[in-house]
Amino acid sequence: MLTSTRTECGSVAELPAFESPVSRSFVSDAGASMEPRRPGAALTLHDVSVTTKIIVRAGPETVAGHQMDTPFGASRTEDGALVVGQRPDEWIILGPAAASRALIDGLDRSGHVSVIDHTHSRALFRLTGDEAASVLEKLCSLDWNDHMTPDGAAVSASVAKVTCDIVRNDLDGTRSYLISCDRSYGQYLFDAILDARHEFGVGAPADAAG
Amino acid sequence: MLIVPCPNCGPRNAADLRYVGESRPRPDPNSASAKEWRAYLYERANPAGLLRETWYCRSGCRRYFTLERDTVTNEFTNPPTPVAKLGKRP
Repeated sequence: MLTSTRTECGSVAELPAFESPVSRSFVSDAGASMEPRRPGAALTLHDVSVTTKIIVRAGPETVAGHQMDTPFGASRTEDGALVVGQRPDEWIILGPAAASRALIDGLDRSGHVSVIDHTHSRALFRLTGDEAASVLEKLCSLDWNDHMTPDGAAVSASVAKVTCDIVRNDLDGTRSYLISCDRSYGQYLFDAILDARHEFGVGAPADAAG
Repeated sequence: MLIVPCPNCGPRNAADLRYVGESRPRPDPNSASAKEWRAYLYERANPAGLLRETWYCRSGCRRYFTLERDTVTNEFTNPPTPVAKLGKRP
């Protein structure tokens, strides 16, 4: 398998580029996606790491804190961006690709406020399908029932031993989760979710199977 | 498995948290003697019974909090309720 590790006297330019479904998404709007292979299965896993991710930390007395207007554990959509109350006094804004500057400029950063663009340091996956909760139950110890995590709920938890931020963001009434983690764990987590969801109908990607 | 009641996230598997240790007041650095500092840093009560201890919710809210636990039965005294979740502010 080709890697980006430098070996012996080879220069960086001579080494073949490392390719992974996660890193590919940073140069392609399409990202990597796993569609169901089994007829009738309706579960998809998409790499949507190109999504803009802004982390805002602000005290409740600040203007930015009021701008977020989303309590801890919930999320809402505003102007095409998803504002997530991920932790007490900490929000994550998920927006369209390449929208970092516009999102950051729209925030009032006066007072005790921290705004950091994590677009390229976090991987983000979207797991969609009626059985998505069953997949997460195999990897995470939280309760994924509707009464505990309804549409819009945001939690942070260990998924396959990786600390992740998870938002339930249903698509047209279909259960869907946005799962983000540190980019360095992205490939592992992508593979772990794919492995967990094998019994529900999503197969390995064609290029990996070969 | 030990279920720890995080005041922000609710009941969580202890593997999602980090056990910081017994919760004790820190001595005043301006007046504490070397013996008091040593006792604070290294000596533990380690009781078979009620113990106030600090936990860190590393996979969830990333906050430190203090709970009282019976080290014999693993029961938490007055476990907190996460009232801030899903918009229910205290």
